[in-house]
Amino acid sequence: MPVKWLCYWQPSGGTTVSSQVLVDLIKSIESMNGVRSGRWQVTASQHRPIRRDQAVQVECARELLGVAFSEAPNKYYFVLRPDHMVVEADSTIQSIMENLQVYRNHLTVVFEYQLGDFHVKAGRAVIAHSENLRGIVLEVEYLPVSSLGKTHQLMQEFVDIWQEVAAQSMTGRIVHLEPNFGDYSLSDQYSWQHTALQYISLMVHFLSQRTN
Amino acid sequence: MHKYYFFFQRFLKTIFYSESRFTASMHVEALQVLLQGLCGGRQEKLKIHEICLKSGTNLGVEASEVHLLCSLSQTDPVWTVRHVGGPMRGAGAEQLPAHVRSVLESSISSNALRFFYALGYKMDYELVRIGYVFQFQRVVPITVTATMLCKVPKLHAIDEAIPVTPGIQLVELTAPASTENYSEAVGAISSFAEHLAPLIHLSKPGVPTGVVPTASTAAASLVSRGAMKVS
Repeated sequence: MPVKWLCYWQPSGGTTVSSQVLVDLIKSIESMNGVRSGRWQVTASQHRPIRRDQAVQVECARELLGVAFSEAPNKYYFVLRPDHMVVEADSTIQSIMENLQVYRNHLTVVFEYQLGDFHVKAGRAVIAHSENLRGIVLEVEYLPVSSLGKTHQLMQEFVDIWQEVAAQSMTGRIVHLEPNFGDYSLSDQYSWQHTALQYISLMVHFLSQRTN
Repeated sequence: MHKYYFFFQRFLKTIFYSESRFTASMHVEALQVLLQGLCGGRQEKLKIHEICLKSGTNLGVEASEVHLLCSLSQTDPVWTVRHVGGPMRGAGAEQLPAHVRSVLESSISSNALRFFYALGYKMDYELVRIGYVFQFQRVVPITVTATMLCKVPKLHAIDEAIPVTPGIQLVELTAPASTENYSEAVGAISSFAEHLAPLIHLSKPGVPTGVVPTASTAAASLVSRGAMKVS
């Protein structure tokens, strides 16, 4: 599977992220590559355990993170960060979890992409069912090679070039968030599980930032 | 889509006919011949490590149970997670010749057991099912399994599994159905069960059935015919 780098826009000190940033980034993409429009969605959720008796503790993970990709509609992924686990299942696992009623959806972040050519996507991360914009998201995909190690330098060079283009009209920078795949027993061969871990890490990062 | 499975169960007693000159495994072999004849020989070996997990104390709206199934009959183990709802109840359900239950399944990566432990589930029991499975298409897909249930003497020691009831196999017929077509599935599974009538009576779980009086004769006849290749 092609390697994906997931990045976000880090506004320069004192400024906050806004939809104008996305418009400007899309313009910067258009100035670099041919354009083909499309729509993608990534839905990441944070679940918390349900306790029958609130006064009594439960021995279980305090946070269950899940993610679904519109590009891979038959699959669902879970991440348990303290346990360093990525779990891959069919999308029916969501119905199973609903029937078990052990964890409840606490929060959902939707990554909506509006534009992409075959290498790049740009979009926003929003809290589901609200207008609460939490971040601007950029995804860079390198098609020919699936090895993380072999593609690292190339991807970095691409991001650096994009950064220079964007800097002509915007302040701020493109930050690549790279989880430690090895900690989660994920190999050098890129997969949807790697993508799941990147999106979950980005969701956690956005949720940890204070908003206005 | 919710699937409803119709469960017909019958313990195939083979040791009952000890007065016959045939061996105890005769009836199991006969059932195999019968099923091969019906489906054209598409039989598969079945070896499944089943782990039943129960939710830990105070976890969830109510206590819950989930099953992890690891299929060991292929080169690489294949994991599935299954949740079975309670049987359909009410006057309509009583009249049906089979149990109807909601079953949800998902394939899952091999770290499934560690995942459910981390979520707060604990192992209630584990067992190994060994036998064979046949697939048929009779209006709806029908699955027939004949398996021996084996207990696992110590944690996950599946190679040391020993039969719970040696010589006795559990025969199950299941068919998926949706809320729209389940009466079709009931009809299909009932009429299919009649094909097996010479050997075994199938019934809803919990409804006792006797041993078929003609089983021994039928078995002998099937096995001697089965010795010739069924194509």
